[in-house]
Amino acid sequence: MLQRRLSHFPGLLPFLVPALLTGGGVALPLLYLLLRALEAEGAALGEILFRPKNLELLGNTLGLLLGVLLLTTLLALPLAFLTTRTDLRGKRLLSVLLTLPLALPGYVGAYVLLAATGPGGLLPLPRPEGYWGALLVLSLLTYPYLFLSLRAAFLGLDPSLEEAARTLGLGPWRAFFQATFPQLLPALLSGYLVVGLHVLGDFGTVSLLRYETFSYAIYLQYNAAFDRVYAAWLALFLLGLTGGLLLLEGWLLRRPSLARTGKGAGRRARAIPLGPWAPLAYLLVLLPLLLALVLPFSALFHLASRFPREGFLGLGEAFLHSALAAGPAAFLAVGMALPLAYLAVRHPSPASRALERLAYLGYAIPPLAFALAWIFFSLRSLPFLYGTLPLLVLVLGFHFLAESLGPIRGALHQVPRRLEEAARTLGETPTGAFFRVTFPLLWRGAVAGGALAFIGAVKELPLTLLLAPMGYATLSTRVFSYTQEAMFAEAAPFALLIALLSAAFVGVLLWSERRF
Amino acid sequence: MRRRQLLTLIGTAALGLSLAQQPTLVIYSGRGQSLVEPLVRQFQEETGIRVQVRYGTDAQILATLQEEGSRSPADLFWANTAGALGQAAAKGLLRPLGATLLKQPLAFVPTSQAWVPVTVRLRVLAYNPQRFKPEELPQSLLDLPRFAQEKGLLGRVGWTPTYSSFQDMVAGIIALHGEAKAREWLLAMKALNPKAYASNPAMLEAIRAGEIDLGSTNHYYVVRFRRAGYSLGLHHFKEGDVGNLALVTGAGILKTSKNLVAANRFLTHLLSAKGQQYFVGNVGEYPLVKGVVADANLLPLEEALKKSPRLDFEKLPLEQALKLLRELGIL
Repeated sequence: MLQRRLSHFPGLLPFLVPALLTGGGVALPLLYLLLRALEAEGAALGEILFRPKNLELLGNTLGLLLGVLLLTTLLALPLAFLTTRTDLRGKRLLSVLLTLPLALPGYVGAYVLLAATGPGGLLPLPRPEGYWGALLVLSLLTYPYLFLSLRAAFLGLDPSLEEAARTLGLGPWRAFFQATFPQLLPALLSGYLVVGLHVLGDFGTVSLLRYETFSYAIYLQYNAAFDRVYAAWLALFLLGLTGGLLLLEGWLLRRPSLARTGKGAGRRARAIPLGPWAPLAYLLVLLPLLLALVLPFSALFHLASRFPREGFLGLGEAFLHSALAAGPAAFLAVGMALPLAYLAVRHPSPASRALERLAYLGYAIPPLAFALAWIFFSLRSLPFLYGTLPLLVLVLGFHFLAESLGPIRGALHQVPRRLEEAARTLGETPTGAFFRVTFPLLWRGAVAGGALAFIGAVKELPLTLLLAPMGYATLSTRVFSYTQEAMFAEAAPFALLIALLSAAFVGVLLWSERRF
Repeated sequence: MRRRQLLTLIGTAALGLSLAQQPTLVIYSGRGQSLVEPLVRQFQEETGIRVQVRYGTDAQILATLQEEGSRSPADLFWANTAGALGQAAAKGLLRPLGATLLKQPLAFVPTSQAWVPVTVRLRVLAYNPQRFKPEELPQSLLDLPRFAQEKGLLGRVGWTPTYSSFQDMVAGIIALHGEAKAREWLLAMKALNPKAYASNPAMLEAIRAGEIDLGSTNHYYVVRFRRAGYSLGLHHFKEGDVGNLALVTGAGILKTSKNLVAANRFLTHLLSAKGQQYFVGNVGEYPLVKGVVADANLLPLEEALKKSPRLDFEKLPLEQALKLLRELGIL
C-alpha cells in the first residue's frame, strides 16, 4: 500500500507542492487565531470558555444553519429539477434568473429587505427580524449555490440508470429516489457545504437583522468591545462547528462511483411533461424571483435614480479596481483548487482529504480575522508585499478557493477514471494524463469554480478594506464608505454595479454547464 | 498565467512609483471616505505633501494597528469616536501631542493628551414640527417615555438601536445615572412600542412622512435633511442632559510615525479655520475653534459646547450598554 503510494510520488509532485502551499496559506490564519486565543490568562480563559452565552450562540447558530439548509433544499431541489428535467418553458432564462440572487452581496440584500419592509417600506410586510428574518434572507441569498450544484448534477446524470430502475419495475418516485438521488448526493452535499459555510460566516445579514450567531458575536467583539482575544475564541468555536460540518459531509460522502462505465456517450434525459402541474411549477419559480431578485434590484434602481450624477466618475475606477483584484484572485483560486480536488478525488488518503478539508475550514475563518492574520504574518515575513495588490489577490484567492472546489470536485467525480488509467497505460505520468485527458473534461468545472470565486471576491469587504493598497477603492469599499455615512443613494450605483458584474459571471457559470 | 504576471507587474510598478515619491503621509481613517477625501485633497494642494488613506471602521483600524505593531506604516489615526481613540491611547499606540496643538480646541481635550478632538456632533431629538411646539417637548431624555405616554404616542416613536451613536448614548446614561436607571429608561421606551430603524435617514424620512412623530438622532442628520429642503424639528434637551451627549471625533499621531512634521501639519490643518469650515459646511458638524462661519441650522458654538454633559468620553461603558441592550431584547 505504502509502496504503491510512494511509487506515485514523483508523478504527483506537480500536485503535491501546490496543494501543500495552499494548505499552508489557509493554515496560517488558523495559527494566528490560536496565537491570539492563547493570550487569555488562566482565570479569564475559564470565564471565556464557560460563558453560558456560548451555549446560546451555539444553539442559535445551529438552529439557523439547519433552518437555512432545509429551506434552501425546499427551494433548490425542485427548482433544479424543474429547470433541467421537465418541459418547463423558458428553462434557460429562468435558470439564469434563479441564479442571479448570488450577485447580491449579503449586506446589500439584507439592507434592501429591511428598507423595503416594515415602517416606511415599499411593501406592506412586517420587517424581517431575528431568527425568521435571518432565515429568510440567508436562504434567499444562498439557495443559488445549492441550485447550481444540483443543476450541474442533474445535467450530468446518466438517465440510463433511472431507466434501468424503471425496467426493473420501480415506479417513477422510487426510481428517482433509488437510482437518481444517490447520484445527486455529492452535489447536494457540496452545495450544503458552501451554503453552510456562508451561513456560519455571514456577518452582514445577521448583524443587520440582529440575530445573535457566532459570527455576529465575533463582529460585536471586534467592533464594540475591541476584544481580539474573546473574538479569537469565538472564531475558534465557529471553526470547531465548521470542522464538525466537514467531518459529517465527508462521512456521508463515501465516494460512490458516479462516472459512467459503459461505452458510448452519455445521453440527455428526456424532458418530463409537467401537464397539469405547470401552474404550480411556475408559482414555485416566481416566488424566489420576486423576493430575491425583483424586490432588491428594483429598490437598488430606485435608490440609484436619486444619485447625483457627478459621482459616476468614481464608478469606472472602482469597477476596474474590483475586476483587477477579483479576476486574478479567481484565477488563483481555481489554480489552487485543482490540485487539491485532484488529490482528494483521485488519490484519496487521510492526508489528501485533510488538505481539501483545510481549504473549506479556511473559508469559515471570519474574514476580519483572516485579514488580521495576514497583516500579522505578511509584515513579519513578506514586508515588501504588505499593502500591495498581489497580497490582496493572494489572500482573496486563499479565502475563495473553497468556492471553486465544489464545481471542480463535482466535475472530477463525473470524469471516468478509466480514461486516465488508459492514458497511464499508454505511458503518461499522472500529471500528463491529467492535463491531456482529464483537464479538457474538467475545464467547465474550472470555469464555474472561477466564476463563483470571482463573484465572492467582488462582493467581499473586510479583506479588501484592510489589505488593498492604500487609496485602492473597489466597488465594495465604495459601498461601505457611503453606507457608513448613511448615504444610501450614493452607494446604490456601486452596489448595483457589483450586482450586474456578478450577474454577468452568473451567465458565465451557466454557460459553463452547457453541453455541446 | 500571463494575466497574473501582468498583474504582478502592475502591482510592483505601482509599488515602485509609490516608493519613489517620498515623503508620504499615511492616514488610517475610521471616518468615511466621502467626508475625508475632499479635505485630504485640499491639504495636498496646499502643502505638496502626498497623503495616502486607508479606510475602515474605527474597530477594524484599531485591530489593524495592533497587528501591525511596530511595523505599521501609518502616521495618523483619524477616528469617529473618542472611545476608539481612548483605546488606542490605552494600548500605547499614540504619541503625546504638543501643547500648541492641544491648546487649540475649545473643549473635549482628553486627559491622555494623546489625541486631539477635531469636531463634535450632538445627540438631539428630531420631531415633526406640525405635531409639537418646541416649548412642550421634554427637558430631559429620561422624561421622553413619560411625555410620549401623555401624548399617546404608542407606536409613533422611532429609535435606531443598532446605530453606534445610540449605543454611545445608552452608555452615557449608564455612566451618568447608573445601570439601573438605564434599564428603567430602556424598558419605559420599549413599553411605547417604538419602531426600530436600520439607519437615521430612514427614521427621519419616517418622521417627515408622518409615520412616527419623533426620535433621538445625531444633529447633522437633521441638518442634512433641512438642507435638502425638508422641514424637520430639532430639539435640544436642557444643558448637561445625556440626551445632548457630545460625540467627539478626533485624530492622533502614532508612535510608529516617521513623518512627524507632516503629521503635525495635518492635525494643524484639521484645526485651522479652513479645515473646520469644511466640517461645518460639508458635513454639518460643530467646529472646535473660533472664527468659523456658522450654519443657520446650528446653535452658536459657545451654546452648543455647553449642551453636552461632561464625562470621560474615552471610557464610555459601551460593552455594558450593549450587554444591557441585548439582555432586554432590544439588540
